[in-house]
Amino acid sequence: MSSRMIPGTTPTVISKNSLIQWLDQIASQMRLIAPRDIDGNILYRQVGNAAEITWDYTRPVLSIKDVFFPPTEVLFTIEKIGNEVNIRETSPEGEQVLFGVRPCDAHGLQALDALFIATQPIDPYYMRRRENTTLVGLACPEMGATCFCTTMGGAPDDPRHMDLMLHAIEDVYLLEVVTEKGAFLLERYPLVIEPGIQPNTYIRPEITTERLAYPALDSWPEQFNQLYWEEIAERCLSCRACAYVCPTCRCFDVRDEIQSEQGDNKVYERIRCWDSCAGEAYRRIAGGHNPRAAKGERLRNRFYCKYYYFPQQYGPAACTGCGRCIDVCPAGVDITEILHFMAGIAMVEKQAQVEVGRI
Amino acid sequence: MYEPKIIAFLCTWCSYTGADTAGIARLKSPANLRTVRVPCSGRVSPELIMRTFDQGADGVLVLGCHIGECHYDSGNHRTAKRLPVLKTLLTFAGLEEERLRLDWVSASEGEHFSRIVTDFVDTVRALGPVRWRVDRREFNPSYQRAPALQSSPHASFSNATLEQQTLQLRQTAQELLDSGQVACVIGYEQDWRGRTRPTFVYHPEDTSRLVWNQDCTHNLTGYLNHKLHQLPQAGDGQTNNRVAVVVKACDSRAIHVQLAEKSYTRDQVYIIGMACQGIQEKARYDGKVHTQQEPVLQQRCIQCTDRNPVISDILIGDLKKEAPISTGLSNRSLTLTQLEAKTPSERMDFWLSQFDRCIRCYACRQACPMCDCPTCLYERDDSLWVGAAHGWDGVGLNEKRTFHLGRAYHLAGRCIGCDECERACPMGIPISYLNQMLSQEMERSYNHRAGVTIIPTPLVTILSGEEGVQ
Amino acid sequence: MTNDSLNPMEPCLGRVVSLKELGNEIKLFSVELLNGGSQNFLDYQPGQFAFLSAFGIGEAPFGIASTTERGYMLDFAVQRLGSVTTGLHELGDGDIIGVRGPLGNCFPMESFKGKNLIVLGGGIGGAPLRPVIQTVLDHRQDYGDLTILWAARHPSLLVFTDEYDEWRSAPDTQLHLTVDNPDDRWDHHTGLITDLLERVSPSPENAVTITCGPPIMIHFVNKLLVEKLGFASDQNYVTLEARMHCGVGKCGRCNLGDKLVCVDGPVFTMQEVGGLLESFL
Repeated sequence: MSSRMIPGTTPTVISKNSLIQWLDQIASQMRLIAPRDIDGNILYRQVGNAAEITWDYTRPVLSIKDVFFPPTEVLFTIEKIGNEVNIRETSPEGEQVLFGVRPCDAHGLQALDALFIATQPIDPYYMRRRENTTLVGLACPEMGATCFCTTMGGAPDDPRHMDLMLHAIEDVYLLEVVTEKGAFLLERYPLVIEPGIQPNTYIRPEITTERLAYPALDSWPEQFNQLYWEEIAERCLSCRACAYVCPTCRCFDVRDEIQSEQGDNKVYERIRCWDSCAGEAYRRIAGGHNPRAAKGERLRNRFYCKYYYFPQQYGPAACTGCGRCIDVCPAGVDITEILHFMAGIAMVEKQAQVEVGRI
Repeated sequence: MYEPKIIAFLCTWCSYTGADTAGIARLKSPANLRTVRVPCSGRVSPELIMRTFDQGADGVLVLGCHIGECHYDSGNHRTAKRLPVLKTLLTFAGLEEERLRLDWVSASEGEHFSRIVTDFVDTVRALGPVRWRVDRREFNPSYQRAPALQSSPHASFSNATLEQQTLQLRQTAQELLDSGQVACVIGYEQDWRGRTRPTFVYHPEDTSRLVWNQDCTHNLTGYLNHKLHQLPQAGDGQTNNRVAVVVKACDSRAIHVQLAEKSYTRDQVYIIGMACQGIQEKARYDGKVHTQQEPVLQQRCIQCTDRNPVISDILIGDLKKEAPISTGLSNRSLTLTQLEAKTPSERMDFWLSQFDRCIRCYACRQACPMCDCPTCLYERDDSLWVGAAHGWDGVGLNEKRTFHLGRAYHLAGRCIGCDECERACPMGIPISYLNQMLSQEMERSYNHRAGVTIIPTPLVTILSGEEGVQ
Repeated sequence: MTNDSLNPMEPCLGRVVSLKELGNEIKLFSVELLNGGSQNFLDYQPGQFAFLSAFGIGEAPFGIASTTERGYMLDFAVQRLGSVTTGLHELGDGDIIGVRGPLGNCFPMESFKGKNLIVLGGGIGGAPLRPVIQTVLDHRQDYGDLTILWAARHPSLLVFTDEYDEWRSAPDTQLHLTVDNPDDRWDHHTGLITDLLERVSPSPENAVTITCGPPIMIHFVNKLLVEKLGFASDQNYVTLEARMHCGVGKCGRCNLGDKLVCVDGPVFTMQEVGGLLESFL
């Protein structure tokens, strides 16, 4: 590409071939993270070249959250020699490109940005990774069965929150330059544009799920003491699958772990790792008192956090409608059902459509 | 020359003195040994041994008193039962089996002590440095694209038997609630998407929610303990805290185990047994309704030989005379036998690459009807056995392996094979291999099949006449 | 160092200068900050808290039990309950700990001026109230009557006993003590702090209450103040304890409804959190 691409200008059409060449070039120079098939699970992991990328996926099992907010992060290395203590902040990782980002996941970063960057004090670890990472989005071919991004203000081809955005049109890709950061990446790693590729008519991905009801913000405090929370929590197993696959859940735990211990010479690591409000001991204090001992209270807190507390505290809602929590819940807790309850609208039962086997 | 690091746990009443005896007699003992004096070999829990390997030991030696000579009567019985099972598990996870040894040395047997130690050190030395502890900086897994698991899209299957069973189930539940025999019925319902999930019914008019189909995968017995404790206690004359639960054949075995472990008493539960035609493989929910004729069944159902529950107050449907659903077939790309046949190093690679994906969401544990400790050993704030780290590319891999192996060990002789752990896992880790392997081992060593009758796992009882010392 | 480059999770180092047994399993740590860490603590206020690190175990939040006016040393009362507090208890004079803070909001001491103060402390909950008491005593003429109700389960769990004489001898200041389970030598009130409060029966006229203690105590003290003694809930200040891991509004642990104890608190009026406290109990 000869001329500099300007964010917001007309998208360019590129072939898959040149996209692969471009990705190979990036992977040879820095960390490229992309959807990868790992023992049958699609996950965002580092790839050595474009051939390791999986193209056929709706959405990976985990969101891109862990690229910026890893499950375990060493905050400091603490060296203790006798009574001398030396605390060293963990150095940031280098520049990286995250490819194949779905719009719901990029949307999730908006919530995390609001928390970690826009709200003082800034979290330096998250911010460094955010600054060092360029997001290359890939529009979803269609909405998944449990997706409800449109309800949360997103869309399967939403380029917002990305740096570069790709839309697949049959064999070619439409490239949108969204931010200066995206333009800068293209400047350093130019894309080969083969002559003669014509933009076909671009068809937006089909929006298969009608928008779900979304409750008004002030309906939340009114429903706090509903028996409903106990009811839906009955089946909840208090595992953390929903929180860990969520693109916005960010609760963490901090503790020290011993890295090496030789006589009086000790090295500890202060780590922070993911945690979830669903866990039984999440709020238990040292004296044994547990303010949220009932699982109904804990589940309620999760949904209130997503749609009420988080917006109050940091601005955006902590949900992007990716639907992962619906897919992974071993007990069938469905977040969209809760939204409908809160909006005071009964769920239209799909069971009526079942052709066979419905008694 | 390579010198192995050997940690020896010595019972203070016998082998610790035995070591002294060897020393006084000036018998030669290798210098590789680091001894830990314990009050009883029974104190050497599996967690302690795993932690020792996690910390870099090349071999672990546990020496206790001869059977019949335990200072605490039966402490060494536990060791005699636990360690061989632990050894099988660690071997399955890729450790060479020679690296863990259990033996018996009395206070006077200095020579015996010296011989065991020398032999053990020689064996471990010959094996070379241990491969167990994972350094995240050196961990380099080889990721594989796995052949896709055979799975069907979400579908709703039906046949005359299932429909008949559903109607009968609803009627039974209604009668139970109407007559006040139970306070709650734990069963299955379909959600608005048409997926089947657990439900709790308290009123007779709500029993029409209940369904029975080949999507009823959840093991509902896991809810019993919590529900029974939550309901008002019986005895105040007004309320009845009895709970009815819908069970399949596999689930019913869980009730046997729970009864054996005194989680509740038999009269607190009313068991609605369902004759089962098998449950379909974890559904790939795609929002559409498919009308397939035959479901793809789960692995556990293919191997299942009980069609009717082993315990029930009422049996709905009867498939006793039907043959097992299928035999020997597998819809896994790798069978347990094939996995067992791999070399230790290959098994190690296999498990490390699987555990590396674990996100420690604990869905496996929470979905398990047997995992009912108030606070999990691996999650205590002050846990000495395992750190809190988890991630991938080797981060927290030791911790994650310890959790999974430890959990599997705690389920030995208790796991009834419902595979809920594996179904609940969002990361597709084939956890049930561990449980199946240990079930085999328990059957082989103790002729014990969990949940077939109301007896606790042999690992918590003393040695009986038939059970030999290995 | 610019403000942007400050890492909010990084503790500064402090040396334990003196350690005093305050009660059964309760120690008072006096900490001197090292390497310029004291710059952070130049003007901390009564009610604020800080994280203390027992290196190798982790960190936990503690109310600061000292005031800037009484010296540069930071005081923390630590009761041995969990893993971090156990780690701290194992330290001795001269040992190095981590200190991160000051964090959270503070008591609006300015707006308390001219008012009668009723301070209610339960057990180790007395620690964050000590700076309030000390501030009032150091500026005695600025405040009205000071009534201190000090409670614990057992006499051995009463904190700052050696400062009672100072408190009692101050003008317009009363100290009332109570324990649930007295020992042989106990010659004060026996019973719950609510019994004592009912007996003392302070007037709500031009008064504020400040409570710190177990959640259950906070709940019942507030109930009594509002329902029997005629206090309005915005006259009742509390400082809350919660499990937290960051102290800077990130880790999500300590929420109380849409409030975060670490940044919106730990000092609240019962008007702010009364409705939310039910779930906190």
